[in-house]
Amino acid sequence: MVAQSELIKEARENGMDLLPLDKDTYELFFGPQHMATENFSIILKMDGHRVVEAIANPGFLHRGFEKLAEFRPWHTNVALLLRVCVPESDVPETIYSMAVDEIIGWEVPERAQWIRTTVLEMARVSSYLFWIMGLSFKLGVYTAGQWAAAYRERLMALFEQLTGARVYHIYTIPGGVRRDIPSDRWLHQLKDTVEYIKSKLPDFDHLVFENYITFKRMEGIGVMNKKFALSEGVTGPNLRATGVPYDVRRADPYLLYPELDFEVPVLNEGDALARALIRRFELEQDLYILEQLLDMGPPSGPYQVSDPRLKNLPRFKVPAGDAFSHVESTKGDFGAYVVSDGKNKPYRVQIRGPSIAHGIRVLEHLLVGSRIADVPVILMSLDNCPPDIDR
Amino acid sequence: MEEIEFKIAPESKIKKKPSYIKPWLGLKYLFKKPVTIKIPHEKTQIAKKYRGFHTLDWKKCVGCNFCGQICPARAIEMTWLEVDGKMEKRPHPKIDYGRCTFCQFCVDVCPTGALRFIESFILTSEWEEDTIQLFDWVPIHPEKFRKLQESYNDWRFPVEKIEFNKETKEVVYHLRDGEVFKFKILGYGIRPPKKQKGGTDSKPD
Ligand code: SF4
Ligand code: SF4
Repeated sequence: MVAQSELIKEARENGMDLLPLDKDTYELFFGPQHMATENFSIILKMDGHRVVEAIANPGFLHRGFEKLAEFRPWHTNVALLLRVCVPESDVPETIYSMAVDEIIGWEVPERAQWIRTTVLEMARVSSYLFWIMGLSFKLGVYTAGQWAAAYRERLMALFEQLTGARVYHIYTIPGGVRRDIPSDRWLHQLKDTVEYIKSKLPDFDHLVFENYITFKRMEGIGVMNKKFALSEGVTGPNLRATGVPYDVRRADPYLLYPELDFEVPVLNEGDALARALIRRFELEQDLYILEQLLDMGPPSGPYQVSDPRLKNLPRFKVPAGDAFSHVESTKGDFGAYVVSDGKNKPYRVQIRGPSIAHGIRVLEHLLVGSRIADVPVILMSLDNCPPDIDR
Repeated sequence: MEEIEFKIAPESKIKKKPSYIKPWLGLKYLFKKPVTIKIPHEKTQIAKKYRGFHTLDWKKCVGCNFCGQICPARAIEMTWLEVDGKMEKRPHPKIDYGRCTFCQFCVDVCPTGALRFIESFILTSEWEEDTIQLFDWVPIHPEKFRKLQESYNDWRFPVEKIEFNKETKEVVYHLRDGEVFKFKILGYGIRPPKKQKGGTDSKPD
């Protein structure tokens, strides 16, 4: 038998760190191959089937977006930064574009604002459907997950017609959007899709959100209190599940949100179930917002600012200055701080992602004491986005 | 180890109404059409302006390198070409699909409208030497691409095989309809390549 100290020494020499060995506990590598973790890994120290300690182990998706953004012309950064959050790639696009608009002082045309708001809401709905898929797979309700994927497909087809791509839309650019709405038919299709998904919500309720098993599995696990959530900087549905009614769309309205009517659902429990239910209620609100937007109809006019400098995109220069803009994504408060020094490339782009707040320390804290079977459920109820943590 | 307390959902909170009919309601899904489609027996619908492969009108391209400068993935390399023994007056973009993100910013900036895109998007490879060559090409004329797409209508890459002779730098495109298209690569970059056979003072790079 090799002595423990020797093992630790050898591991250190090879650049690894072992947790001190303990007779009663064992170490379990959870992810990144595990389906539940999605390119994210957690090192669990287990005692039987209870978690004693959890260490988040991110970094599998690190690509250095913020540094790379300093070497690309202003507009093309959209094609890079949207990779920060895969399920709702329109959010990073929009925050970056809004910040650049603010530095230049562009007044974005009304039609572009309408399209941007609609695209953001569509992204929210599709992201929530994606999340329902994940949650129901983790709960073992596979049918609901497959339904969610099928309904999301309808939104993807609409995105494909509008933007020309299904996942990475590369659509919102500084100064507006890249293409106009293809036709009135597209608006009708969107309306049908919204109605269709709305009519399917009761099905999800029967299968997932009112299900006896869901309550048994999710109530009382991963409880986060208000004070802890606020001190860690948690935002979005996870914060609203602890009783804080903070929503960027209300607190700092942008685009067309001041004109729209919607509720911000709040629950006080702070457990996994509350977080799941908040998301379910928000999905309903998002569909309602989309209905209002469609009733409003897109205003006529251009979909992009007209500026002679846009003829020469590679050498397009942004005046020196800085701006911060943020939007409410399904994960939380997503913000971008952009600094320009007057060149044709940004001086600095800083992304404030929501997932890093609830995906590392909060997750480590919530997992302690839970059962191994609850780990995927807690992880999914927090809904973190690994590329946003790694960046 | 300290004891950890667990909250368990109280029974009163849980709706538990036994029903003998509800389970059978699921049967209605037996009569619905499946949402999945059987590829390749059925076809997917591709949006008209799906951002797929590029097309290039060689006559229109003025070699301004705007596309190369804007490309966020640096997938574009300007290439000097020779067709039928005649050198093209301007360099043309060569696109590496191993890097391309299909953002089509290059299409947006092209001042002459030479670079366009088409909705075809399927590029498959057996990962062998000659299929890998397909990933790096100078796009063909839009009309030719459109014709091939319309006759096959399966959104595949229009070239079956690209032969590249490393010594003579000759490239041969074998199009899907059997047509053969040949040209020669003279050099890379924005500056015209030095004449190799002309003077004795020409130095290799
Ligand atoms: S394809 Fe267009 S942008 Fe590119 S070099 Fe030719 S003319 Fe210029
Ligand atoms: S589509 Fe985008 S990534 Fe591809 S060659 Fe054009 S600019 Fe580059």
